Amino acid sequence: MRNDIMLNYKKFLFTIVGAFILGFIILYMTMPKMIHLNSNYTFGGMRYFQTFAICLFGLGAFVGSAFSELNNKVASSNYLLIPASTFEKFLCQFVIRVLFGTTIFLFVFWVDAHLARFAALSHIVDQNNQLAGPEKFRFIEKFHYSMFLIKDQYPIVTYWKWYDGIAMILGIFSIGVYLFSVKLFFRKMGLIKTSISLVALFYLLAGIMILFSHIFYPRTVGFNMNLEEYTTTFHNISNVEIFIYSICYFSLLFLLPLGYFKLKEKQV
Amino acid sequence: MIKIKNLSFYYKKKSPLFNDFSLEVESGRIVGLLGKNGAGKSTLLNLIAGLIQPKQGNINVNKFAPFERNPNFLGDIYMVPEEFSFPHVSIDCYVKAFSPLYPAFDKEKLEQIFEEFELDKNSHLNKLSHGQRKKFLISFALASNCKVLVLDEPTNGLDIPSKSQFRKILVSSVTDEQLVLISTHQVKDIDTIIDKVVVINNGTIIYQENTDEISQKLYFDVVPSLAGVENVLHQEKCPLGHKVIVPSTKGNESSIDMELLFNAIINKSIKAE
Repeated sequence: MRNDIMLNYKKFLFTIVGAFILGFIILYMTMPKMIHLNSNYTFGGMRYFQTFAICLFGLGAFVGSAFSELNNKVASSNYLLIPASTFEKFLCQFVIRVLFGTTIFLFVFWVDAHLARFAALSHIVDQNNQLAGPEKFRFIEKFHYSMFLIKDQYPIVTYWKWYDGIAMILGIFSIGVYLFSVKLFFRKMGLIKTSISLVALFYLLAGIMILFSHIFYPRTVGFNMNLEEYTTTFHNISNVEIFIYSICYFSLLFLLPLGYFKLKEKQV
Repeated sequence: MIKIKNLSFYYKKKSPLFNDFSLEVESGRIVGLLGKNGAGKSTLLNLIAGLIQPKQGNINVNKFAPFERNPNFLGDIYMVPEEFSFPHVSIDCYVKAFSPLYPAFDKEKLEQIFEEFELDKNSHLNKLSHGQRKKFLISFALASNCKVLVLDEPTNGLDIPSKSQFRKILVSSVTDEQLVLISTHQVKDIDTIIDKVVVINNGTIIYQENTDEISQKLYFDVVPSLAGVENVLHQEKCPLGHKVIVPSTKGNESSIDMELLFNAIINKSIKAE
């Protein structure tokens, strides 16, 4: 890891600075520049979340650039011959791209959100094109991550069950790990091929569901899916929810070892 | 030490590159792996370095199976590939980043080789010429003191003075515990440094011999005319007349003309015993 940081610190620094500037621009552009003093409009949790979701693509691209050494045969040879175990190589990329990348992303977004709010509020005007007074502060809320968990002034966690939250986090994490392993599966045009394969996986899953529907419910017509929904005794969760949760929960367990073994078996 | 037993390898199943291939080379030698283009030299080096997996058979390098890529194995083998790429850093930064990964790395030796090759450690790697970058890689390989050094076409891209420097530095820095495997089709560049010749063609070894044994068995000469020369095993025309290989008589030794020997082997004028 020390070796990787020593060789790539400039690239990482440029990425952080680039992400900082881009994040600020996106946040600033989405914040209001003019307000109607009588309106109830607020740039709050939902708006911040929409911008956050857009910025997540940037994090996805960074995570997807893991194992960039495997881009071509020459660089692959150099990388595979570095005297370190496959586990160390895998862990190093995981720590830098996923753990450090996500932590820095969250910090950069937090700083950007505060700076963008400060910049937007400093020259926000009212309907008369006059600089708005102290009431302007209610139009753009101060950013904090817990606002993502609040809906209609109530914490979302009161609507959600614990397993909903874990499923969502693990689901996002699974997509991250899938992007992380891109170069291990596809040498060239990794992100495009990953997107195509994700769509293909979705259709494959749908295809299997349709096939099972036809097998177990012979009355099924065409491409319809027959999902017999019933509630289980486990926390009154429906069978469909269990199906979705199991994908979110277990795909990560499948993807990480698969990525590791792909690296272990990598040839030039 | 490298032990290859019954190796089979193919990129396409219908055209196998190696079939039941075996080779054994001991430490303390500089081995010249010779062959025509496409003979399988680079593939063999990649198999030895663990970059590709054999389809069948065993490869044993310093008691390790290369494709397992054990860190101890990787720390004791260094490969100088024919084509290479570097990160965008200076020589000094590269050395600081990678040298700790090789347990026997000798920084003083590296600086000595840098001096001989006239390399500046503050230079940016990607701003150097191809030949200078190759010299850097060779310097790093020799300073790593790895037990196995695999050099794929090491003299490609080197100018004439650098080629002789390379020969001088290699011979002076390799120890008895090391094994150097040099693959090349520029046989003249290495004829004075190797002490074992292995020639492969179509995935099989067609000749392997130690150079001292070759000198005892064969005599290389240039004659103005073939008239009167007996038992010519192989001959080629040259500006001074004819280059010939004849059986060596007792106490009669010559320096090996590797190019002539290689052509003789490829033309089947000389066969391994």
